[in-house]
Amino acid sequence: MAFSGDNKTRIFVLKLFIIGVCLLYTARLFSLQVIRGAEFEAKANRYAIQSVKIPAARGEIYDRTNSIPFVTNDEAFSVEIVPAELPASRREEVFQKLAEILSIRLTDIQRKIPPSYYHLYQRIAVSTSASYLAITKIAEHKEDFPGVYWNSRPIRRYLNIGSLSHVIGYVGEIGRDEYKLLFNKGYSSDDVIGKTGLEKFYDGTLKGQDGYLRTTVDVKGKNLAGEAERLEAPVPGKKLVLTIDAAIQKTAEKALGNRMGSIIVLKPDTGEILAMVSYPWYDPSIFISSNSGEEYLKLLNDPNKPLLNRAVQSSYPPASTFKTVLSTAILEEKAISPKSTITCNGFLEYGGRTWNCWVHSPGHGSVDLQEALANSCDIYYWTVGRDNLGVEKIISYAGDYGYGRATGIDIPGENAGFIPTPRWKEESYRERWNPGDTMNLSIGQGYMLATPIQVANMMAMVVNDGVIYRPHLVKEIRDGESGALIQSMRPEIVTDSSISASTFKTLREDLRSVISYGSARVPVSTKAVMVAGKTGTAEIGLKDRWHSWFAAFGPYEAKPEDQVVVVAMVEASNLWEWWAPYASNLIFQSIFTGQDAETAAKSIGLNLKEQHLRGRAE
Amino acid sequence: MRHFQLPKFISDLDYSILILSLLLSAVGVASIYSAGIDSDGVRFSNEYSKQIIWAVSGLVIMIAAMALDISRLKDYTLFAYVAVLLLLLYTRFAGRVVNGARSWIGIGEYGIQPAEFAKIITVLFLARYLDASEQSSSFKRLVVSSIIIGIPVLLILSQPDFGSALVFFPILIVMMLVGGIDRRYILFILLSIGCTFLFLMLPLAGKYFFPDGNILDLFFQRPRYVFMVSGLFFIALALSLWGWLVFKKEYYFWLSYAFSILDLSILLAYAGHKVLKEYQIMRLMVFLNPNVDPQGAGWNIIQSVTAIGSGGFAGKGFLQGTQSHARFIPQQSTDFIFSIIAEEWGFIGGLIIIALFFLLLYRMLGLVSSTKDKYSMLVCSGIFGMFSFHFMINVGMAIGIMPITGIPLYFISYGGSSLWSAFLAVGFLLGISSRRYRM
Repeated sequence: MAFSGDNKTRIFVLKLFIIGVCLLYTARLFSLQVIRGAEFEAKANRYAIQSVKIPAARGEIYDRTNSIPFVTNDEAFSVEIVPAELPASRREEVFQKLAEILSIRLTDIQRKIPPSYYHLYQRIAVSTSASYLAITKIAEHKEDFPGVYWNSRPIRRYLNIGSLSHVIGYVGEIGRDEYKLLFNKGYSSDDVIGKTGLEKFYDGTLKGQDGYLRTTVDVKGKNLAGEAERLEAPVPGKKLVLTIDAAIQKTAEKALGNRMGSIIVLKPDTGEILAMVSYPWYDPSIFISSNSGEEYLKLLNDPNKPLLNRAVQSSYPPASTFKTVLSTAILEEKAISPKSTITCNGFLEYGGRTWNCWVHSPGHGSVDLQEALANSCDIYYWTVGRDNLGVEKIISYAGDYGYGRATGIDIPGENAGFIPTPRWKEESYRERWNPGDTMNLSIGQGYMLATPIQVANMMAMVVNDGVIYRPHLVKEIRDGESGALIQSMRPEIVTDSSISASTFKTLREDLRSVISYGSARVPVSTKAVMVAGKTGTAEIGLKDRWHSWFAAFGPYEAKPEDQVVVVAMVEASNLWEWWAPYASNLIFQSIFTGQDAETAAKSIGLNLKEQHLRGRAE
Repeated sequence: MRHFQLPKFISDLDYSILILSLLLSAVGVASIYSAGIDSDGVRFSNEYSKQIIWAVSGLVIMIAAMALDISRLKDYTLFAYVAVLLLLLYTRFAGRVVNGARSWIGIGEYGIQPAEFAKIITVLFLARYLDASEQSSSFKRLVVSSIIIGIPVLLILSQPDFGSALVFFPILIVMMLVGGIDRRYILFILLSIGCTFLFLMLPLAGKYFFPDGNILDLFFQRPRYVFMVSGLFFIALALSLWGWLVFKKEYYFWLSYAFSILDLSILLAYAGHKVLKEYQIMRLMVFLNPNVDPQGAGWNIIQSVTAIGSGGFAGKGFLQGTQSHARFIPQQSTDFIFSIIAEEWGFIGGLIIIALFFLLLYRMLGLVSSTKDKYSMLVCSGIFGMFSFHFMINVGMAIGIMPITGIPLYFISYGGSSLWSAFLAVGFLLGISSRRYRM
């Protein structure tokens, strides 16, 4: 098309403009790269080593009295080389001297810094555990060690934490996938982060803020005179004060001994966990050792699964402890009068099969609600669950107690357990829910699964007249340096049930009868405290072994703030000892007399090592 | 689909634009490949392979755009414009936050930045308006054009993506220039932008650039004085407007003109200080003297300039850039891609990139003066404005003579949206070039 002269001028202006910009940029580039190239090259070499990271110490972890340390940090040094700053002529000599001072093999250094790395400006660590003495030797003759640096690097120290390993967890180098997820949150690729337990859950709190030392040094690694150092001091991570009581933890650990299972001691009026043991446990220090990969694999492949925190990550049939839920429902719904009796002959014919109570013929005889709970009569709960309550009510009350939901405890990887429903069964098995399923559920068997922490919450709810506080392991967060209190964890209500207080009162009486004249009369022998609770023996298809549960609280009818809840769960993989009530008995004895585990065991006449029983007992 | 067919006159295609685009994309993939390894030689990013995928899909987009006879479809540009505004609105509220701006929409790892495409659609719609409004007064065209540009700019600013919003202004200026709007108005906009930047920077310049107790700082520490002086400027504008209306002297026109620019800039700078954070403004001005904040806003510039300078005449060689691979420079593969090229390929490499862009932009201007219709001419000029601004700011930023605004270098920087929009724009240009001699 035709253009007016004016338009031609305008396009000409644009052409001039773009020519001008390109000429200007070329000139600038020429000035930077050709005229001042050498200057920038020298500068580049200086900048390459300009800032040195000073890793912050991770927060320490203490017991509930803030006096017994569980985890602290050790001072260690890493020695690093920037290969490009090490002149070729002196390389061998420096390697040799370093090997001597650090008492490592020369070949190790050469393996870590192969010729293909000689041009790199990246720091490469040749030793991560150098002593202070070695560092002083290098520092005194810095000019003899061009390109050699060191760094203090606090490492985690676990102080005989024994069975607390699952609670505390361990740390490790940040993984590739973790780094991708976290890199917007100020993590860098060489960070150490919490991998499990509290170390993971509170990583953001425990992790400090790394500091930096920015220095201007010449190519030989000497500080340039007159150039100021800029230090950004690292801020240590915050300190955790746990809810764990070191003495109770020790007792619980000994009470469980080397049996696979777990024990929880909980303060019902706050949700504070006083002890949490899961056996087998492991030593978190191995993750810091040099052959951590091997040790980790060993743990991972161990058939006993020592990495699993059985108290919160394993779920089991709650068995007869679940009768507590049924009793609550019966009382609250007035499904059947507590005084009405049902006759137990030791067996029941239903749905074309025989259902045997755990006390075979002649059975418990005629039992009312309290006697049924005290002696854990299956026949009673089968009948009432099936005929008077029905599955929907049982599910609803199980939900009220927090089953089927994570408790929200402050360690990662919690198992939510499971409440079976008719709809679920139809969807996954294409089978209708039948009254037999309701009967199984009534005694906590069948598809029902619960974690020990959920069972502990159940007892806490009974103590608190319907309130469950979020179970937690951290009591306070304190400043890493001054120890000043930053945050004190308040009890947080997660469930506030509308079930009446009178129901809970009767329920507590019934649970007390389990110990005063019922199934746990013999094992729970302590005179130090009045215990109330419920036994549980879960069938898992083995002939002479069962999961052994005991969930209890005490002192009976004291104020909630004075009570503790103890839940012991001993897996069927152990020899049958009916150990859970015995272990709980020991813990109650120890807590309320102040005796240590051995003394307490002696005074209740318990052999800590083993207790052989034959046949199912409940 | 009458207006969707590959042009019959493939021989008229501007092959130089096509070849230059392909060359630049290839350089881009190579540079992103290099930006993806750290100083241990370990690859930490596979951005380059994604870039290849985007480049190949971008070619398909380019061919599709080429097949569109856009000058026959110009009446539909309003729909495209409204659609892209709705998309921006959606992004503003439901988009994904990347680098602090809610600027992305997409699925999983893949997403697009609607702002990139909004530029091109806005070019098409503004071209449509300027083409159809030749009989209107320059003033009316100025106002309407500013509104057409202003809506997407405000939406993008609210994300907030300052860099992408800025690109609309050179587009507006170049298109108004080519569209034949009175030079006084174009000058007005240019000067207003300049003065706004100046007023935006002055308070911080007083605070950081000069020794303590300098007059600028003392002045801006006292909001009352600032308010009074600004008030004087507004009174001056009122007086000159009054003089112009009463005496009709040209002298008063120019006075009003000057004070309008100053007063508008004061208002915009004031709004800028309300909206932008101090560090954002620092990023815009720190290139003037990066050493005032060497660990903060000046860091990128110092590192980029050092990397480029240390490249020397011949460069350190492909994958051998020490500064770049030590990852001293953030946004290595996007905003500061030029520094890795200039470090590894030296002055020679930098010069080649500048030359390639120069040829591309120069060819675009050639196309502007040879299109068959006014609409196509305006589209070409808008696209020219967009490409030249990106080039000027991105390269200028890397060599330390332009503010840090974080806009990508077309074809070379990593990113699907910018590559796709570049190929889309080139597709339009090629389509225009192949139809330019036939009606």
